[in-house]
Amino acid sequence: MTNDTFSITDEQRDYSQFGLEENPFPYSPVPDNDPALYCGQEHATRAISDTVSTMLSTGKSKHLVVTAKYGNGKSHTLKYTRSLVRDREDVVVGYVAQPGEGFRDIYHEFVYDLGFDRIQTLAYEYLAQVARNTTDCNPTDASTVEQLIDDGEVLLSELVPEAVQQLNNVTKFADFARAIVHMVYEDTNLYAWQWLTAEGIRYEQRKEMEIHSALDDDTTSVRAFTALKNLLLDLGYTGVFVFVDEFESIARLSAKAEQATLNSIRHLMDQNSHGLCMLFGCAPEVWQDVMSEYHAFSERIGQEVALRPLTDDHINKLVSTYIAPARTNGTGGVDPFTEESLSIIHQRSQGNIRQVLSVCSRVLDAAVDEERSRIDADFIQEEI
Amino acid sequence: MLYRQRTLNTPHGCIKTPVLFPVRNIGKRSSDNTPAYADAIPDLRTAMVNARAIRQRDPQWNRLLNGATLREEMDIPEETVIFADSGGFDFQAGDVDTTPARTLETQRQIGADILGTVDRPISRENRDRENQRRISDSAEYAVEASDEHDGEELLFASIHGLDPETVQNNVRYLERNGDFDGYALGSLVPVRTDYKKVTSIILAARRATDKHLHVYGLGGLVYQPLLLYLGVDSFDSSAFIRSAGNRNYLVPGFGGQELKHVTELSYLPCSCPVCRDTPFTELREDRNALTKHNLWALTMELRRFRYMVAANEDVEAYLDLRFQGNEVTKRAYRQAKQQVRRLT
Repeated sequence: MTNDTFSITDEQRDYSQFGLEENPFPYSPVPDNDPALYCGQEHATRAISDTVSTMLSTGKSKHLVVTAKYGNGKSHTLKYTRSLVRDREDVVVGYVAQPGEGFRDIYHEFVYDLGFDRIQTLAYEYLAQVARNTTDCNPTDASTVEQLIDDGEVLLSELVPEAVQQLNNVTKFADFARAIVHMVYEDTNLYAWQWLTAEGIRYEQRKEMEIHSALDDDTTSVRAFTALKNLLLDLGYTGVFVFVDEFESIARLSAKAEQATLNSIRHLMDQNSHGLCMLFGCAPEVWQDVMSEYHAFSERIGQEVALRPLTDDHINKLVSTYIAPARTNGTGGVDPFTEESLSIIHQRSQGNIRQVLSVCSRVLDAAVDEERSRIDADFIQEEI
Repeated sequence: MLYRQRTLNTPHGCIKTPVLFPVRNIGKRSSDNTPAYADAIPDLRTAMVNARAIRQRDPQWNRLLNGATLREEMDIPEETVIFADSGGFDFQAGDVDTTPARTLETQRQIGADILGTVDRPISRENRDRENQRRISDSAEYAVEASDEHDGEELLFASIHGLDPETVQNNVRYLERNGDFDGYALGSLVPVRTDYKKVTSIILAARRATDKHLHVYGLGGLVYQPLLLYLGVDSFDSSAFIRSAGNRNYLVPGFGGQELKHVTELSYLPCSCPVCRDTPFTELREDRNALTKHNLWALTMELRRFRYMVAANEDVEAYLDLRFQGNEVTKRAYRQAKQQVRRLT
């Protein structure tokens, strides 16, 4: 028996014959967490910009659903939009990869995406606000108040009861207020984090923080989400952006669970007429069903925008945008692809961006292996 | 290991730390129920008293006002160093019936060397808001005491907190706003079985200040090695009296053993001056002798630790051995080790 069936090597392919330093296309075309490129879909970008801008400028809640078939760029669109808004200091942005089993999972994923550090920073920001109002100190942000506490310039025991009281007034959820404040204590911050993410904690751990209720169902999760948003508005944030991807997966839930999830989201929207912007990514067929069967929910989402398959022009622009950063020879355009070859890729992929990227990546490697100088239509025909 | 040795200069002489302050019940009862130990145990020229209890016992207080000294009342040598706390433990349930100025006046009147500021202990049973208020009150009382204090006695600020942040914040707040010779950490007795919490709180205080650190109420046999390991400079204990009252015999390394379970033994396994010559049956009946032995046991614990350091022995290996017999304290020591190394 020989072991030369497989040829495994870590030697890199040489793309210099095409004036490229690497294959710029992803082998597995999944969206980056922080995409740098966005191509085509001008009608979608207009609708998204309008939704996001309206919320930012007026503070009024506005929601949008982005529909498209698999591989046509829903996730990419959501993640690209997220990358644009999350650098703003006046909003909080969370991404939910898929809705899970119900609203509790959406809330869990959202808080998890914000992360422990961010929630802890929010707790300190609140203490800073309380310190500004109740002491002679004037901490401007989370790190300043943390430093004041570390240095003993303010008494933590004077800030905390006041913070719990004020936060309780703002959120109308005493347990949530206590959990937020407990984020600043080393002994209890992990319990507080577990409670805030709706992961569930033992009774003794809740007792340690004087938290009476368990955050373990859709109803309390909606309440906690609203409490978090109210905390943010009280801190001066404009609002919260929630990106819910793969919303079509609610279709695999039982009818009862699906209805409960949609109802919870509806309640959330009803309770938050200000400061909330939800963007959903959903397969069109599921969205059609939601539209026809769950009016109460779908009517609260102002707008739907459908992503369209890429055109020839879009594909040319997409390929040249991908290739540009890897070029070493100063040329531009779609070289080494020919216009005809991209046309064939368009036909075969039917404008599906995932397939376009996948084919481009594959044929570029094949062309290197066969030492070709161009990727023309014939070569594409052979390869796909 | 954070163990450290210092010298504490007080009006009645210098003491080498770390040191134990045996709790004296004088003022609480009709007579001091602590047997004389100062001459018998030469390295124990210390005592802890409750200033409030002494002031509240009129006959004794009147004698003190008329020129008697507390040391005479207690029948202890003049050079005994007395730590007078404010009696804050009595305020756990009730209201504070004194002021920082009045407590200082009492502490001075009884000739105390170390003055603990007025405090309001906290407890897990209280609502958080109430505990936070008590912590703030104690801090403000300490600042007031600092403003009032201008004597030669050492002033220790009493601090409270059931978490490291609060304790650290308190120490630093008091460093900024008062002038203290040390800090005395309280409210740990009710949570003493939560070793991880207690050691993390002590460590927070230790790291927040280089000044003298006293821990109220935890100087018994089990905690003593942990406190030494964590760099605590002094501690007090009434375990030797309470244990004797229950006929418990303190054995270093084992804790308290109930003597009612022991039979057919001629002599107990200790070479202290009490056990050395006293037959078991006699010792079991004599509460005073048991109290003395128990105090010797606490002293021996401290001496042994000091010896290990002086002999340049591996103290952590010694403590590994020391705690191996009991799973709970073994785990507590392991956690303390990790905390000291900042691994948790």
